[in-house]
Amino acid sequence: MLPLALAGLAVVLVWVAPGLLARQVRLRRAPRAALVAWQAVSLGGVLAALFVAPAAVPELLGGDPMADHPALVALAAVASIVVLARLLLSGHLVGTRVRAARARHREIVDIVAEHDRGGVRVLQHPTATAYCIPGRSSRVVLSQGVLDTLPERQLDAVLAHEKAHLKARHDLLLEFFTVLHESVPPPLRSHRALTEVRLLVEALADRAAVRRSGEVATARALVAIAQGRYPDEAMGAGTSAPVRMHLLAVGPHPVLSATAYLGAVVAVGAPVVLLSAAWS
Amino acid sequence: MPHSTSTPRLGDLERLVMERLWEAGRTHGATVRDVHEALERDREIAYTTVMTVLDRLAKKELVTRERDGRAWRYFPADTREALTAQTMRRTLDDMDVTDRRAALLHFLDGASSDEIADLKAALAVVESRADEEASAPRGLRGRLRR
Repeated sequence: MLPLALAGLAVVLVWVAPGLLARQVRLRRAPRAALVAWQAVSLGGVLAALFVAPAAVPELLGGDPMADHPALVALAAVASIVVLARLLLSGHLVGTRVRAARARHREIVDIVAEHDRGGVRVLQHPTATAYCIPGRSSRVVLSQGVLDTLPERQLDAVLAHEKAHLKARHDLLLEFFTVLHESVPPPLRSHRALTEVRLLVEALADRAAVRRSGEVATARALVAIAQGRYPDEAMGAGTSAPVRMHLLAVGPHPVLSATAYLGAVVAVGAPVVLLSAAWS
Repeated sequence: MPHSTSTPRLGDLERLVMERLWEAGRTHGATVRDVHEALERDREIAYTTVMTVLDRLAKKELVTRERDGRAWRYFPADTREALTAQTMRRTLDDMDVTDRRAALLHFLDGASSDEIADLKAALAVVESRADEEASAPRGLRGRLRR
């Protein structure tokens, strides 16, 4: 019964929970806790999938010592190893690709950009943009367009936002979810988790910007950068900007954090409890 | 007298060398000797270092080279402006969208014109809320003045 429960839990955490979590838009007002909940749900899903085979072993042995059924034990080990290998392979592929792309981009930025005070790189381009290149030798990159358009206070908000990404290593979080995303076979993939996590990471960095410059300057910076594009650079719809703007208007909601943290504990704890029950 | 005593990082050297090539221009180009002589005016730098840096830049396809007698003549593959624009457009050719968004974290991924209108409306809400909060501590006095 317990291995079935674990398999069911894996399905719930991998396919059902992300949909439910993504629908809880109120959670966006507590981005830090929401990110913990997302990570816990994903980790719980992986653990549950890994634990199905080991949990089935005691039931199938029916009281016999393990040495009597080597084939059965080996089969269970292979089942778990396949799940783990898929994850590790995906991790390796995504990590290598992302790091190579970052390194290449950083090399070119180091050549074309000018150095500004505080190690910020400036690209001589009229489009207003700001971003960071995470990693061991990270960079914050601004365009001349953003320096020309934004007053100091808004610029500080943008810099605080980017530095929050680098300091809290949001890139690792995004990488983790990209890896999970790619480890699922393509027909079964859902963009929900990755999309929501991207939004939450931005909302969290926005909180750092608000602490530095206040809601109004942060909101104005969002609008200024959204408008600061050259006409030839048409952008697709469906970006995070409107939601982030709304979050700046409504402010944080600390009560929701507690619920999210509780959910996180349950998501990781459940597979562990089920596996230990199977072996006791 | 060279005024730089510490050895610059490879990335900084690449930048200095590219700057020389951009100054030399896309049609004229420069040999290792040209670049070395120009750089040596400001800092101590070995001829072989310049050669290595140009070789690296060629591998990265940032410069092209042609035979010029017994030496190589190097040309910038793109103007500085073109390379900047390319960097801005995030045309990291071999990357799909998922990877790019994991590789670089943009302040804003962009907005459509419809969204910009919505953003402005939302900004007005944020601003008016801030105004209310600012005037709240003044309490009755602030309200009476209106």
